Amino acid sequence: MANKRSAEIPSTSSIHWLMVTLTIIAIPHFFYQPLWVAAIFLLMMGWRLMNSWHGWPLPADKRLLKVLHSIGAILTIVLVFYSYGITIGRDAGVALLTTMAAFKMVEVKNLRDVYLSCFMGFFLIITHFFFNQSIPIVILMLVNVILLTSCLITANESDSSIKHRLQQSTVMVLQAMPLMLLLFVLFPRISGPIWGLPNDAMDIPDSLPDSMTLGEVPPQNSAVTGMADNITIGNISQLIQSDAIAFRVKFDNNQFPERQDLYWRGPVLWHTDGKRWLPLSDNQKRYENGSKIHVAGDAFSYSMTLEPHDRRWLFALDFPTAYPQTMQTRLSADGELNSSDPIKQRTQYQLSSHTEYLFNPQNDPYLQYGLNLPEDRHPRSQQLARSLLEKTPTDQAYIEAVLNYFRQQDFSYSLTPPALRGDTIDQFLFESRQGFCEHYAASFTVLMRAAGIPARIVTGYQGGEVNPVDQVLTVRQRDAHAWTEVWLPQQGWIRIDPTAAVSSERVDFGIRDLLPAERRSPAAIANNDRLVELWQSAKNNWDALNSAWEMWVVSYGPDRQMQLLEKLGMHQPDWEKMIRWLIIGIALIFGWIAWTTLRLKTIPQDRVQRFYQKFCLKLARYGVVRQPHEGPEDFSRRAQLALPQYQQQIAMISYCYMHLRYRGEALEDDFIESVKNFRPHR
Amino acid sequence: MTQGSTERILHAINSVILGKQHPVKLALACLLARGHLLIEDLPGVGKTTLAHTLATTLGLRFQRVQFTSDMLPADILGVSIYDPDKHQFSFHRGPIFTQLLLADEINRASPRTQSALLEAMEEQQVTVEGETLPLEDPFFVIATQNPAHQIGTFPLPESQLDRFLMRIQIGYPDKQAERALLTGEDRRQMLKQLQAEITPAKLIQLQQAASKISLSDALIDYVQALLAYTRNSGQFYNGLSPRAGLGLIQAARAWAMINGRDFVIPEDVQAVFPSIVQHRLQAREHLQSADWAAEILKQVALP
Repeated sequence: MANKRSAEIPSTSSIHWLMVTLTIIAIPHFFYQPLWVAAIFLLMMGWRLMNSWHGWPLPADKRLLKVLHSIGAILTIVLVFYSYGITIGRDAGVALLTTMAAFKMVEVKNLRDVYLSCFMGFFLIITHFFFNQSIPIVILMLVNVILLTSCLITANESDSSIKHRLQQSTVMVLQAMPLMLLLFVLFPRISGPIWGLPNDAMDIPDSLPDSMTLGEVPPQNSAVTGMADNITIGNISQLIQSDAIAFRVKFDNNQFPERQDLYWRGPVLWHTDGKRWLPLSDNQKRYENGSKIHVAGDAFSYSMTLEPHDRRWLFALDFPTAYPQTMQTRLSADGELNSSDPIKQRTQYQLSSHTEYLFNPQNDPYLQYGLNLPEDRHPRSQQLARSLLEKTPTDQAYIEAVLNYFRQQDFSYSLTPPALRGDTIDQFLFESRQGFCEHYAASFTVLMRAAGIPARIVTGYQGGEVNPVDQVLTVRQRDAHAWTEVWLPQQGWIRIDPTAAVSSERVDFGIRDLLPAERRSPAAIANNDRLVELWQSAKNNWDALNSAWEMWVVSYGPDRQMQLLEKLGMHQPDWEKMIRWLIIGIALIFGWIAWTTLRLKTIPQDRVQRFYQKFCLKLARYGVVRQPHEGPEDFSRRAQLALPQYQQQIAMISYCYMHLRYRGEALEDDFIESVKNFRPHR
Repeated sequence: MTQGSTERILHAINSVILGKQHPVKLALACLLARGHLLIEDLPGVGKTTLAHTLATTLGLRFQRVQFTSDMLPADILGVSIYDPDKHQFSFHRGPIFTQLLLADEINRASPRTQSALLEAMEEQQVTVEGETLPLEDPFFVIATQNPAHQIGTFPLPESQLDRFLMRIQIGYPDKQAERALLTGEDRRQMLKQLQAEITPAKLIQLQQAASKISLSDALIDYVQALLAYTRNSGQFYNGLSPRAGLGLIQAARAWAMINGRDFVIPEDVQAVFPSIVQHRLQAREHLQSADWAAEILKQVALP
């Protein structure tokens, strides 16, 4: 019976509908794939169309075409291998699936082939997840699933209208939602990246190369960048161009530090050759906890959600005093928080920090590194240091004098400073005098070291934006910052941000206000406060939604699952309990489906009847309940008495219904329209 | 056109029979559906007056037969009498050769006489001494009977009750109507002054119009559900016959026409249902007949 049915010839309209759907599904892939994938796909679709429009033969009709078709398919496989060097893996696999779905389309001749094509379509839909897991893509995929389900419906009843089949498939997909949610929540999660995904499936944002030297133009295509582990002047200005999120912070109990304390500590840079700044090398770096830290005030606890950046360091609010032991997190002696492995996927961790602290006030293992300067470099800077040193009695006074130098001379903060050649520090200090944090941090450090004060550069982020909707602080790449720490006896390492001396707004208000207007928001160009406000609130809501989506859907891993299930009341969840609840849940869902299907039998299939029932339901909400045996005229009379203000509408609907149901004529659409528009309220 | 006629007829009848709109309307519907009518009630509530008024307003020739226990079939059908002048038998037509026959107190007659009348009703012809004579068209019988518990009655057998499309009750008039009746004109006098509203030919037209009233599948579903309920619910000794179903549909059509509609709605069926089923069904439990007919309607949901 089933075999006989699957051998039936599908209608032309159902094949066309399937082709439209497959094309809609495949289109987003064309942007990721080489051009020939789209070309082959559209060629095959065109062939099939020509067959139904002009009767062109299909492979099944002529032996020669069949051979050509097979050769084409084999050549495509070769082409995939040639393009990707492999036929498996994300990109190659998707290219193969896309083209083969198109090849199958010209072969379709019976219902079985239609089903096969539909299932290939479902696979093709899921591959979108390999490239993007954002909300818009999920919505697109949902639409695709509805379209493809309607193809299955059309294959079996081709005479239904497009509207009807879409309605039906939407209902079916919505009915599947509870099961989907149940499986999503309860199916035991396995730790690690999405299982079984090929290596090329994760997009790691590019980082700046390690060996970049001054004068070299950073790659323009690295739109999404992370903090580099060395700085060359100009690197951070690249980062500032990026709106990409670096990490999100959720403070426990929404206890936020002061804005000027929001320094997110990253790599610490010591060594310099005059152009580049580098962190301690691996054998210099020490982790054994000899550091002394004295804290004051309350600790801030918070959870960080770090975007992947393919480096090992983790960011923390200056200064981290408690950190998780689970991820093999270590705090180095110079205050860098490191993970044992590069961060290749979105990572969450819980930290505590103190913003008031003394770090190694007695001694520090690296003090001599903090004094190193390349010989014979920055002569003018050295000279400036000496002249300032003569006028100042103490280290503190010297620091103050340098900061005053920055303030009093015509230094300015600029995101587009002139390019520097030669001795960058000297050139900046005495000629261009335009720059941003890294210029100031680097030249300040040089001036400190020249005066015999141990100094180092700390890179990281400063500030961030609090979303008023969910109170999550979002730090973006554009918040990248560099500042200086100097070591003074009895005080330890003190953070000094020379950029603040020049541009206190950078620290007080964040980078956003310094960016040109058109970078801030499109609405700002219109110079309309109301629009700016609207734009901002829309953006906040969207960010909050995305952040919740990332947190609860995309990074819903074993930890989150445990957390959620415990919140839902499951005591010590483990996979056995999850499976048990999963089975119970599935049984409940299917029981419910069975029950409603049985009940559905009493729900009229007739459209007029359905809408009349809707009408009765609307009246029932206001206490006018139609008895099962009550005729439409009697009911109408009774309803009119009960709701005199709707007398006309009730009379009109009942009149139409009686004519439709018992006379077999009248305007059905008018009737349905008036039922839809009937909204009684007392 | 049709509605105007039926309205005029009803108005005329209601001016004589006070406060009885529903039974009057049912009686008219019965005649428009080409059915015979049985009126069961106590003496003196206006059975005869109703029959008389109907005959007059519909412009029908009218005969009245008072049934008694010693009555013979010939007293209704007619008798052949030897004419000595012509040396042959000549047939003297009985009162049945009329357009509307009022058979008063039909349950006083013997079963033999009763069945002679009922056969004539069904066949619309009589056979006397081997000769078949057609009855007039239109031909109606309005029979009245006293409630069965009265002395000296021969209750009609079920098979014969089935020949009557409807059985209606008139009942006592309400207070206001009775007062008008007591203080008003003499009814017999009024009957004499009553005019015919239509001709018999027009009545046939109306009957034909009624039989053409449209009937939707949904409504037939409903009628079938009602029939099935009487057969399957176990509350009755026998369910309704297909003839009863046909009658129900015909009566509902006539009712729809009287209400000025050219299609039948469930309310039409519900309105005529009790008068059609009450004399056909025998309830197992001793239910009040008026109640159980309404009960069936409540039990059967509209499809």
